[in-house]
Amino acid sequence: MRLVVDLNRCQGYAQCAFLAPDVFAMHGEESLLYNPHAEAAQREQVLRAATACPVQAILVEDPDAAPGAAEDELSHVR
Amino acid sequence: MTQETLLRQIIDYDNRADPYPLYAELRKTPVRQEGDELFVVSTYWEIKSLLHDPRISSDARNLSPGAAGTLLQEEEASPLPPSFLRLDPPEHDRLRRMTMRPFGPPETPRRIHNMRGELARIVTDLIDGFGDRKQVDIVDDFSYPFPVTVICRLLGVPREDEARFHTWADTIAAGLDPAPGQDAGEQHRVTQQARTELGMYLSGLIDERSGAPGDDMLSELVTQHGPDGQMTRAELLSTASLLLIAGHETTVNLITNGMLTLLRNPEVLGRLREDARLAVPLVEELLRFEPPVQLLPQRTTLADIDIAGTTIPEGASVWLVLASGNRDPQRFPDPDRFDPDRKDIQHLGFGSGIHNCFGAPLARLEAQLALTELTRRLDGPRLVEDPPPYRQNAVLRGPRHLNVAFDGLRS
Repeated sequence: MRLVVDLNRCQGYAQCAFLAPDVFAMHGEESLLYNPHAEAAQREQVLRAATACPVQAILVEDPDAAPGAAEDELSHVR
Repeated sequence: MTQETLLRQIIDYDNRADPYPLYAELRKTPVRQEGDELFVVSTYWEIKSLLHDPRISSDARNLSPGAAGTLLQEEEASPLPPSFLRLDPPEHDRLRRMTMRPFGPPETPRRIHNMRGELARIVTDLIDGFGDRKQVDIVDDFSYPFPVTVICRLLGVPREDEARFHTWADTIAAGLDPAPGQDAGEQHRVTQQARTELGMYLSGLIDERSGAPGDDMLSELVTQHGPDGQMTRAELLSTASLLLIAGHETTVNLITNGMLTLLRNPEVLGRLREDARLAVPLVEELLRFEPPVQLLPQRTTLADIDIAGTTIPEGASVWLVLASGNRDPQRFPDPDRFDPDRKDIQHLGFGSGIHNCFGAPLARLEAQLALTELTRRLDGPRLVEDPPPYRQNAVLRGPRHLNVAFDGLRS
């Protein structure tokens, strides 16, 4: 899956790095590193991060696609 | 309706169940003067702009003497220094940065993510604890104990001490929320006693952890030797108390408001039961629609500030009514409708700017998990009373009890 972060919008709130640490990482306090071609298995993490972004800077390609092979993380509870 | 009565009405307990019409009235004057040195800001863009304005202070020492006596400004006398919640840069930045090191990125990016399994187990245990009952109080039986347990695990409070921790947290919470007719002096004494005991307990735990650190957050706070140096004992105690109190007094309301809102919107509840992924946007909409912190009453101005045709003078007390900004029709279409499919959802539920909620990622996960599991496991849930009885507190607004009847528990 492809994603892009609008770095002009990003203000370093770091919600994505908390919620999807396999895809987003903070380098120092303000700059963001991320994988623009995240694995399908990370879709849930990525959507969690994109939704939580306080400045809505994360754009995800085809966010409504089926989760595919990725197991819904919440289903671990069951 | 005079200005004075409008603000009093918002604080008045009789309006706790539905303050939103009063906020709509407030928004007719975006920056409203209430008495000589108190200004109430109620529209989205004005609140957002002030949250990002370096001329706004969170430090009570910057209030003018006249403003210091206004509503909700009475401070608990505390032997501890102010936490970073009540400080400005550079002291705020240093303490917040030091607290973030063992909590999140860049130094500890996985702590919260790695707690997911443990959060899920705590949720499951609490729901299993409903047993054969056909009615529970979502507050006392679930949304109160859940975040307290989480904060204990995060800080590294040993399991055998958790029950004592819950007792202190309960007492301090009751002190933030005095019942009408209660003996104020006696309540104050009991609350101070709990604060003292909690402080002594934390102090002992700090001693223990500095000698034999674990991988918990308190151990790392105690032993860190980063570029910002070390926290003093007093700073450690202030910070740990802040994490404890701010970490659960708010989350309890987020989860309870969430169940209440779902039970009032059965179609959304049904969708969440079918698809747990809905929990993610749903919690964001909840933070807009029923934010756990309704207003920030503790800001002050470091200079005269011109905004929305009004000049707020230096040293005035400024209230930022987040819950009103979240319902501002200039910002959100159809704002009084709860709509988890809303795409444009930059709410003020966690504040904004340098004091944005420190625990936001943890609160998000706690609420997502809690609401998903309560919805999935309660069979035929329904409100016993609507509206439910509310806590006294107008700032940390939420139900005191939320009695929910149901037909049984699903496995």
